[in-house]
Amino acid sequence: MALLEMHEWYDLARDTNWTPGYVAEDEIFPPELSDPFGISVEQWETFDEPYKVCYRDYVETQRDKDIGAYSVKSALARADFFKKASPHWKALLALHFSPIGFAEFHSASAFARMTRFSRAPGMRNMATFGTLDEMRHGQIQMYFAYEFIKQDRVFDWAHKSSKTENWIIISLRHALDDVEHTRDAISAAIMTNFAFEQCFTNLQFIGLSADAAKAGDHTFATMLQSIQTDEARHAQIGTPLIQIMIENGRKAEAQQLVDVGFWRIWKQFSALSGISMDYYTPLEFREHSLKEFMHEWVVDQFGRNIKALGLDLPWYWDYFLHDIETFHHCQQIGIYVYRATQWWRPIACTSPAERDWLEEKYPGWNDTYGKCWDVVADNIREGRFERTVPVVPPLICNMCGLEVTGVAGVGRQVDGRTWNATNFHLDHEGRRYHFCSEPCKWVFELEPARYQGHRSIIDRVLDGTVPPGPDGFYEYMGQSFEERGVCGYDYQWIDGYDMPRAAAAE
Amino acid sequence: MAVEVKGMKTWSGLAKKRRRPSEYEVVTTNLQTRTRHPDQAYELSPAPLLEMNEFYKRHVSESPLQHPDWEGFRDPDEMIYRVYTRIQDQQEQYVDGLLDEHNEIGHDATLSDAWLDVLERLYTPRRFLQMALQMGAAYLVQIAPASTITACAGFQDGDEFRWLSRCAYRARELQRAHPERGFGETERRTWEEEPAWQGFRELLEKTLATYDWGEHFVALNLVAKPAADEAHRQLGRIGRRFDDGLLGLMADNQMRDSERSRRWSAGLVAFSLENEGNAAVLSGWIEKWVPLARQAVTAYCGALPEQDDAANAALGAVESFHRSLGLDA
Ligand SMILES: [Fe+2]
Ligand SMILES: [Fe+2]
Repeated sequence: MALLEMHEWYDLARDTNWTPGYVAEDEIFPPELSDPFGISVEQWETFDEPYKVCYRDYVETQRDKDIGAYSVKSALARADFFKKASPHWKALLALHFSPIGFAEFHSASAFARMTRFSRAPGMRNMATFGTLDEMRHGQIQMYFAYEFIKQDRVFDWAHKSSKTENWIIISLRHALDDVEHTRDAISAAIMTNFAFEQCFTNLQFIGLSADAAKAGDHTFATMLQSIQTDEARHAQIGTPLIQIMIENGRKAEAQQLVDVGFWRIWKQFSALSGISMDYYTPLEFREHSLKEFMHEWVVDQFGRNIKALGLDLPWYWDYFLHDIETFHHCQQIGIYVYRATQWWRPIACTSPAERDWLEEKYPGWNDTYGKCWDVVADNIREGRFERTVPVVPPLICNMCGLEVTGVAGVGRQVDGRTWNATNFHLDHEGRRYHFCSEPCKWVFELEPARYQGHRSIIDRVLDGTVPPGPDGFYEYMGQSFEERGVCGYDYQWIDGYDMPRAAAAE
Repeated sequence: MAVEVKGMKTWSGLAKKRRRPSEYEVVTTNLQTRTRHPDQAYELSPAPLLEMNEFYKRHVSESPLQHPDWEGFRDPDEMIYRVYTRIQDQQEQYVDGLLDEHNEIGHDATLSDAWLDVLERLYTPRRFLQMALQMGAAYLVQIAPASTITACAGFQDGDEFRWLSRCAYRARELQRAHPERGFGETERRTWEEEPAWQGFRELLEKTLATYDWGEHFVALNLVAKPAADEAHRQLGRIGRRFDDGLLGLMADNQMRDSERSRRWSAGLVAFSLENEGNAAVLSGWIEKWVPLARQAVTAYCGALPEQDDAANAALGAVESFHRSLGLDA
């Protein structure tokens, strides 16, 4: 074929900046949406994407990926698998699919901000693929979730969650809107592409995929991996941006964007992937614990990447390492005991064998979290089911929107300080804000105006936004009576499952 | 023992339609999170505390273009990602074939000096115009109040990049065939200075600087893009008379994408008309932007050789598109 190779012409496709003549440059590129750092356009034009793709190759590759992922044969296998899947795996699928459709689709807009407002032509091009990719991720996951709805109404939340005021959805939207959607194109890209995608998407899309393959849910595993190939490509927008920032004397700003983005996204993944990997995945299919996966894929890789870029580890690194071993165990307790506030059927996953595994992976688990589960199990054993649900509402973090948990003995010496995950608070302009951790509080203090007007679900109960009465809270969160979570095993897990766990495999 | 699990027929959000939803509806509807609260599009401090919430409030919640339920909009093509990549892969394969064929026969070496002047002046600088169209579509993606609008604009964003890329590709081929000319070198200067382009440059720069979502949609999709694409159709048509069949065939192919944009844009106008008052708003914006488009098309087409009324042909096509929108009634 007498066709030019991409490298023979692509330089021209990246030569697309011009100087506006009919409106001021700032009217097309307002600094607050484009570049608040005052870096020159010549500098932005040095943006060089590490991995170049042209439109022609993009549509071909992506078409092929979808032909594989959507095959009719795999759809049949998936429906069949789902029918036989255990409550463990169903809870895992519900947790994954409920928020991910809108979250991924929403990301298309974050990339569109880069295409519209970046002054780096190569970045605009790559971000255009990012927009298309994220539409793909939204759509393919909506498609997969929809296949389950005929069997399980829980999956309706893949479609309806985007607009509900359920506390878990609020928590997720808060993090994503903060990181991806409410900043200038450069800041959002550093946070989204580097701190979020390059650091964390592996966790859900490679780590969970390994568990899925082992569990025999091959089409789910393949879909996750297929999505990750797109993520790995468009996540590369972040690195050259950080380099340009550093070269232009904006290292401190880049560092702060990474530190904030990394923390905010970690909290989300800690709950999502942490509970999926260490609890909801049936014991015999667990590939790695969250901690092992985090060390291999996030701690080591991120540590290497960040140093190679000339940045430092976030200041909260020691606390983060501690958090890897603790936060999601606390959240799992909260998710189970406040189960009616979730739309899926939460499960405890602390049968005797599972507890042994947790103790092995997280030495000391029995003496801390295990003690809380003992109380839950005792109440179930005595038939006092109502006492497995706390009477007081939880304290919710005004940053991550997750529960502020205080489990006895969890406070630990890190860096000569005791970190008790309880009640970091701040009084600001006449209001008290609660945080689950020092970094969540730190993020707030950096930009209070960004966060101070937001009300957590508990704030909304207290200020009367949530209607009173026993159903008011649930109705506000979009949950009809049937959409309030109940124990997925109907309490029959405390001495082991009477349902053979292997059922999930066949 | 597991608890009893019940299924349902379709998404509760689509159930009231009482018909089987298409795959498009299943995977594209109701995914927007920005329209839950007028002053809190994003889940952070409401406007005016958070700038972006103020921005969205000003440009969407308070836009003159209003509809109680934008999420009800449907793309008439029902385009979804996995169909988009399939169609566009096929179209790109077709364009690859054209380029390959013409390259084999040494097409570019056969072009006359007079026509090469035209290509250098009025074709290869188009990639800057494509960039502006791409940026404009990307704005719609991020500001649209419905996921179904975001999806349409997202594919349009991809289409504009498609033609930006092909235009860059042709510039390099022409540069190789005619290294003594300015191909691949002078496009930016031509776009910035050549009088024939200045109308389009003004139209597009002003469109990009328009942030009200409704007005941006009108300026871009109802006026600037149809005008820019119809002008390109005229270039392709005249190319045939100068033995540049390749340009004509590529322009025809580009018009397929342009027409898809017009179909969903017309669909969105029709949907908007459910709300009284929008007809006047849309007509007002069209009237405001058309003079710039007329000026742009006249300047550009006037520079085409043997153009026998190309400007009127292009403007006529834009006007007939406007007439088809049902705004006059
Ligand atoms: Fe994604
Ligand atoms: Fe992504």
